[in-house]
Amino acid sequence: MSITVRFKFARKGPVRYLGHLDMLRYFQKAVMRSGIPAKYTEGFHPHQIMSFAYPLGVAMETEGDYMDLELTEEIPAEELSRALNDVMNEGIWICGAARLPEKALNAMASVAAADYEIHVDGTDTEKLRGILMTAVVNMMQEKILLLGKPQEEATSSADHRKKGGKKEKKAKDIRPGILSLTVDDQEPVIKMRLLSGSALNVRPADVFSLLAERVTEDTITASRIVRKEIYGERNGEYVPLLCLGADA
Amino acid sequence: MDFSERKLALSHEILMQVEKPSQYTGGELNSVMKKADQVKVRFAMCFPDIYEIGMSHLGMQILYGLMNTYEDVWCERVFSPWKDLDAIMRRDHIPLFALESQDPVKGFDFLGMTLQYEMCYANILQVLDLAGIAFHAEDREEDDPIVIGGGPCVYNTEPIAEFFDMFYIGEGEVMYRRLFDLYEECKEKGISRHDFLRRAAQIEGIYVPSLYDVEYKEDGTLKSMLPKYDDIPVKVRKVLVQDMDGSFYPEKPVVPFIRAAQDRAVLEVQRGCIRGCRFCQAGQIYKPVRERSVDTLMKHAEAILQNTGYEEISLSSLSTSDHSGLKQLLEELIGECNRRKINISLPSLRIDAFSLDVMNKVQDVKKNSLTFAPEAGSQRMRNVINKGLTQDDILNGATLAFKGGWNKVKLYFMLGLPFEQEEDVRAIAELCNEIAKVYYETVPKDQRNGRVQITASSSFFVPKPFTAFQWAPMDTMEHFLDKASLCKRSVREQLNQKSITYHYHEAGTTIIEGIFARGDRRVAAAIEWAYRDGALFDAWTEQFSYERWIKAFEECGVDYENYIFRERGEDELFPWDYVDCGVRKEWLLNEWRRARAEVTTSNCRDKCSGCGCASYQCGICVKKR
Ligand code: B12
Ligand code: SF4
Ligand code: SF4
Repeated sequence: MSITVRFKFARKGPVRYLGHLDMLRYFQKAVMRSGIPAKYTEGFHPHQIMSFAYPLGVAMETEGDYMDLELTEEIPAEELSRALNDVMNEGIWICGAARLPEKALNAMASVAAADYEIHVDGTDTEKLRGILMTAVVNMMQEKILLLGKPQEEATSSADHRKKGGKKEKKAKDIRPGILSLTVDDQEPVIKMRLLSGSALNVRPADVFSLLAERVTEDTITASRIVRKEIYGERNGEYVPLLCLGADA
Repeated sequence: MDFSERKLALSHEILMQVEKPSQYTGGELNSVMKKADQVKVRFAMCFPDIYEIGMSHLGMQILYGLMNTYEDVWCERVFSPWKDLDAIMRRDHIPLFALESQDPVKGFDFLGMTLQYEMCYANILQVLDLAGIAFHAEDREEDDPIVIGGGPCVYNTEPIAEFFDMFYIGEGEVMYRRLFDLYEECKEKGISRHDFLRRAAQIEGIYVPSLYDVEYKEDGTLKSMLPKYDDIPVKVRKVLVQDMDGSFYPEKPVVPFIRAAQDRAVLEVQRGCIRGCRFCQAGQIYKPVRERSVDTLMKHAEAILQNTGYEEISLSSLSTSDHSGLKQLLEELIGECNRRKINISLPSLRIDAFSLDVMNKVQDVKKNSLTFAPEAGSQRMRNVINKGLTQDDILNGATLAFKGGWNKVKLYFMLGLPFEQEEDVRAIAELCNEIAKVYYETVPKDQRNGRVQITASSSFFVPKPFTAFQWAPMDTMEHFLDKASLCKRSVREQLNQKSITYHYHEAGTTIIEGIFARGDRRVAAAIEWAYRDGALFDAWTEQFSYERWIKAFEECGVDYENYIFRERGEDELFPWDYVDCGVRKEWLLNEWRRARAEVTTSNCRDKCSGCGCASYQCGICVKKR
């Protein structure tokens, strides 16, 4: 019987500039320090059996990312969270943990959608909000939202042959992947829920750039993107990944 | 304290444009935050190379940890920004900052630089330049940081002397407290920079270059180097830790987020080396050998693993095989590491039954290679350089290893050693061939895991101060390359040539390193010229330009050949003779003569050869043999 625990974590502040592999290394060391009874692989270079739901891009903040870890003994979830939080450093913390049911999918395979907030730079809050609202409304009325330029496609089909079967990126319609798109009612913050499955995976930065193209009166920039939550699907509903562990 | 809102010196836009942005944002585990207004001394400790190299330096972790135990001192870290950020900082006028507070270095009390390797000299100027500090100590303002250098390159400070206010000769653990006390006293009393430096020069181990007058003879050699004042010492004596068990060791080292060159816990088992190989500077300047006890080492190991979460630990020292408690240490450490699921990365141990047994326990024989460093191919040359490793040692070691399942061997050699003949170069190829032969003789055909793989590499020899070869001429570029191609040809002539791969290092870097190693104050102008012409990160082969450096010497009228290509006279005064590192010049001269006569000298464990370090009254010099 394997014991897998799912941890929900957050990161904010300067540590957001870590890449995904560095986060992985960070967590491996943290688990080591915490004394949690992690399970190890056999061989000369034993390592923990750890996996992440969704790689965190450089600079992205999160309030709801997930990491699965195999253990050798059953330990109450709160104790595990506490043990890890005791050895964390600035800007990374555990927000919750849950034992996974025996046959649960791993975190990465469970990902179906995610919520994001994009904080638009600027001081004139009301003006910015107005601009954003207009752009959001216009954009959501469009039936097709193409990402990537069609001309590029033409030139890349030549490379395509040269590179021997390696598929070049085609312009794709991401409209079906935008489940919701709104503007916060106080701050110049864009909120969205995006599909993150294997069939269609939409990145918040792409949505932002499409939105920015539709803002004509100004150039807008955003230096903070926050992942708020990652969802899996259960009976046609989106449920936070931690819940998939808790009561399934 | 909540660090997550810690301010950053670089904007989001800039961080997104540079490689590995988190090398500039600090905040790593075990990094130390203090309140700037609650300390009296702010120290910026700089490793003038990129973060991944600098964060692998144990010496910096030691000094960082030690200084931060002082309540009145805050030590922070600084590294060379990589070229992408360097360009942005110049364009946007962003001053160089320390990682912890992200404050500009210019506002600090001290800027310390560790000088590990000569090819970082251009980076020293980059650091000063980006920090907005004048290159020349004499041009600095009253409240600029005191720029202080330390590390192995201080055993010839002269080519970079003008760029530093002071150097610290020896091990940082010893004198820092006294230096800070003096600094605080001077600051309180409003004593000037100049007078502080003059007082500091009276602390043992501290050298203030501006307080010495230097004169040269007509032939370009040094005539005299004398203190300007009576209270300044003629010779600066190296300071060192006498009791390694009692000295500070960083049990909470800073753990980088990004992968550093050494991504593991480091246990320094001893300092110094008992073997006086005649080409080796480290062997002399870290003398005498001082061990840490197994108990102390185990205590440090457990604490470090607990405090860092590293998954690997390695033993570090110049010659770990010589530690008298190695057997016990490895036994205990392997036990502890198995319990914690931690890998042990072994340094290159001398190959014998014991080390093979240990390696067998901790690594995958099939994947790992054995390392030998005979440094020279022939026994005659090994006698010249006093390398106490015989052909039998190597072949016996290889036999044992091949029986144990290894089939990869790495060998390190040097070309251009003093008194080297063609047959010595050929002997390198022959030795490789012998090893291959041993493999085919010991391992029956059906048990072979393919061909034996022998990788030989050679670097070119650079004579260094405080070695027996400080008098020796260096080979020219043509000689180096001739020898390398002779070696290559000889390898091709061997019966087992298909099992042997041979590489040689870049020769251009070697020549420049040679000039810095034994140059004098006149070299500084060329360093400045080359830096202004774009020299930076010269330790990185693809960044290094030989032509630029040669042009720099020519433009600045530096007779660089005079530093490297001539044999130096026995009574010549050297630019580094003002340093007393314990090893006497007469002893080194005697070693130089013995090298010529191909006579070896015993190592410190077998028999003291009276080098002079016994005056420190510690370590092996006072141990009963
Ligand atoms: C770890 C290590 C590395 C690591 C990390 C970088 C580094 N330099 O530490 C890596 C693998 C990246 C590395 C790379 C290289 N290394 Co290296 N490395 C070492 C090693 C094994 C340990 C260094 C160490 O931590 N020593 C222990 C500490 C305690 O000693 P310390 O550094 O001297 O520090 C003490 C004092 O000097 C003083 N001090 C030091 N700095 C300062 C600064 C101030 C301000 C003050 C006041 C005092 C002070 O206080 C410290 C505490 O006592 C040494 C060999 C050795 N065992 O010493 C070689 C050594 C430093 N490396 C060496 C070389 C040649 C290289 C490379 C060029 C190899 C190559 N061909 O690529 C590169 C160069 C990279 C670079 N820019 O330095 C040579 C340098 C020879 C020389 N000066 O000419 C050494 C001495 C090895 C040798 N036997 O020749 N190296
Ligand atoms: S064994 Fe020889 S080369 Fe190695 S550190 Fe000692 S003296 Fe130097
Ligand atoms: S005095 Fe003797 S034992 Fe001590 S370092 Fe010198 S040679 Fe070795």
